[in-house]
Amino acid sequence: MNESENIQGIGKTSATDRDPITSDKFMFWLAQGVIVNPFDIVEVEQVSHEGKSKTYGLVTILEHRTDSPTHLANFISSNFGELSEEPNTPRQGTTIAHANVLSNDKDIYMPVQSERIVKFADEEGIHKALGIDTMEPEDRIPAGLIKMSNGVSAVAYIDKRYILGPESAHVNISGISGLATKTSYAMFLIQSILQKTPPEKKNKIAVILLNVKHGDLLMIDKRRDKEFTKEEMEMWEKLEIEPKPFDSDIVHYYLPRSQNGKRPNSFIQPDFYEIYAYDLESCADKLDLLFAQIPDAYFTLESIISEIKEGIKSNEPDFKNVNNWDDLLYGKPLFDPQTKKPVNEWRGIRGSSIGVFRRHMRRMVITNQSGIFVNSRANREKSLSEEFLNIKGGHVYVVDIARLYEHEQMLVFW
Amino acid sequence: MPNPLKEINPVLNLLGSEIKILPAIGGAVEELQHADEEEVEDKIINKKDIIETFAETPEPKPNNLYRKTPPLSRKEKHMFRFFIDGSLKTYFLGTGIEGTRSFPIELAQIGSAVIRREDDGTLKVHERRLKIILLLPKKNQGVSDTVWEELRKIEKPNFFEVVDFTLPDPLADTKSDPRDKAGAKARSSMHKLEIELIKSTDPYRNENSWLILDGSIKFVEEDIWNTWKNNPNVVGIAKSFRKDLIFQIDRRLKKRIDITTLLAGLPYGHRTVAFGAFEGQVAFWYVRIREQKEVDYPLMGVIKVEYPCLDRNPIPSELADLISSALIAERNVTPYGLDRRWHCSLYPIYVAEQVIKNSFFSKEVLMGCIKFPKPKIGGEL
Repeated sequence: MNESENIQGIGKTSATDRDPITSDKFMFWLAQGVIVNPFDIVEVEQVSHEGKSKTYGLVTILEHRTDSPTHLANFISSNFGELSEEPNTPRQGTTIAHANVLSNDKDIYMPVQSERIVKFADEEGIHKALGIDTMEPEDRIPAGLIKMSNGVSAVAYIDKRYILGPESAHVNISGISGLATKTSYAMFLIQSILQKTPPEKKNKIAVILLNVKHGDLLMIDKRRDKEFTKEEMEMWEKLEIEPKPFDSDIVHYYLPRSQNGKRPNSFIQPDFYEIYAYDLESCADKLDLLFAQIPDAYFTLESIISEIKEGIKSNEPDFKNVNNWDDLLYGKPLFDPQTKKPVNEWRGIRGSSIGVFRRHMRRMVITNQSGIFVNSRANREKSLSEEFLNIKGGHVYVVDIARLYEHEQMLVFW
Repeated sequence: MPNPLKEINPVLNLLGSEIKILPAIGGAVEELQHADEEEVEDKIINKKDIIETFAETPEPKPNNLYRKTPPLSRKEKHMFRFFIDGSLKTYFLGTGIEGTRSFPIELAQIGSAVIRREDDGTLKVHERRLKIILLLPKKNQGVSDTVWEELRKIEKPNFFEVVDFTLPDPLADTKSDPRDKAGAKARSSMHKLEIELIKSTDPYRNENSWLILDGSIKFVEEDIWNTWKNNPNVVGIAKSFRKDLIFQIDRRLKKRIDITTLLAGLPYGHRTVAFGAFEGQVAFWYVRIREQKEVDYPLMGVIKVEYPCLDRNPIPSELADLISSALIAERNVTPYGLDRRWHCSLYPIYVAEQVIKNSFFSKEVLMGCIKFPKPKIGGEL
């Protein structure tokens, strides 16, 4: 074993006049033959009041630099652009890794010194870098497996207190669109949460999923056709999570009503499901959401909506006979059925503004709708608002909105 | 970070207390090197203006002065494995006044490095030496015997030396200005370091492992030649050389050719025939490593090669061809944009120079480390 293997270093920190190391980032050059990738976690020795400490960094960008001042110099060095030219001496160059400081195990955030040996963090180091060591074991939700370029892996945990309960925030999942990676990860995280929550606390967690694309989330109770590979199983085992579908007895699918009302308006139909539809009664208090995409510079539409919401909610005399969408559009107080004309003025709002409101409403709930708006719901057609007043802990509710128009999707947020 | 040069403080303190010093404004001023220092050196070493002899066998014909030497890449024959260069930086620290004598006080950082090229072409530092020298004149031109003796007695670190720049020296003797003299002396000291490093490659050099030396093979400071036996497998490569030489290519017909004409007609991938210098001790020739169309001026892209003929026998043409071919293959990559002499630079030599220069203390460090007491303005002389 040579000396470089013995110290297990992968490079040395490097501060220059133009590119200094700061309290939140450091750079290091890589030793020959070392492979480092973005998102690797590395550690560097740092000072501390007790002697030494370790600063952990996340590799963000790697760049290869040579002593060539310009691309033209490289062109000339290749015998003025000869592709077959092989120089006797390769140009001097090295790969520089940029790392963002994640943490220091003794809370020292002075810049790391130049010329310090950089090493890959081990599993314990990764946990320290991410602050996992400060999490109580019962609060740990496995959020994934960090695999480093040197083969070391560590389970990354999320603190349960930050994603569940009254003090929780949210999880932001970023990624490339169209590959189903973000959705898959969300599903994995939900499985992880449900599996890692003790049964006595599980009844406090309900999951609501919105299926926005195709039928991806309309088969979460099905086991996948393809078997897991050995490597995949090893990863699941390391995470201590079982790769399994959601139990069908805890899954509830809500599919939108179609134009004819017989079949749901969905890409696929699960074995069991409920159909949901929007009637005026269940949507009256959400009319503003329906108009969310419509410009309303002078808040005219907003004032009409407010009057209607309040009128229906308070059962005002004006709205005594308004029971469905048609009543709202073709009856009083906005329309005079006798003259078959919109009213000239209502509660200080000019008739022309009411006309604009009616035009948009008619477009959204009558002419340009997928079938979800009904004047009256059949027995088997559910109101999402009512359904979700009765959700149960430990259950998963999937609402399919994939085939809905954009304005229709707005009303799902109850 | 502690003062890295604190070990030289006793010497500076002694000078500050024993002689009056007018420090340079700002602490130290870097002396700029003459761009054509190598050419100047070539003139000093090679004093003859007319070259009268060929130094290769079979003897070349006067009507054919060029030989074709196509590039021979490292993959075909890895001939040159060691590359040596030296570098220096000199600083004017101030003017010393002792009695009625005033003289410059100069400091130089000198260094030399040998680069080893592995089979795959990667470079490693084989050895590197660095020194800091304080250059002072002695006796009637500068520091008194007493002060010099006190300076001598001070214990100095290995990397530091106090040098009398008035001591006879072939390079320094050509200068008259004391500051130039000090600079030339520093250059001589740098050559000494280079000689030490050449010796460090002695066990590794053989017919398949040659050393390229940046500059003239005929060192003036030390007769390293006595230590060499047979073929030392060393060549000296000069990027800059005398441009006023005359070659007498036919004694019988008294036919002469000047160096400009000789090199202007030298095609790419060719060498000139070898000429003799130092009474046959050195065979030298010129190799064009770049097409003339690639450079601005016909004399660009040409290097001078010096080969030591220890027994004063001419160099075999095949060997000169082989050396030239291998040298032409060294032309890429080039330090274009980093060195104005990129067209005749050999990259490993450039890397050796960088190794040294990057090991030097920066001017800021030097200025911070070297402080003389401020002079009194006015008052007694």
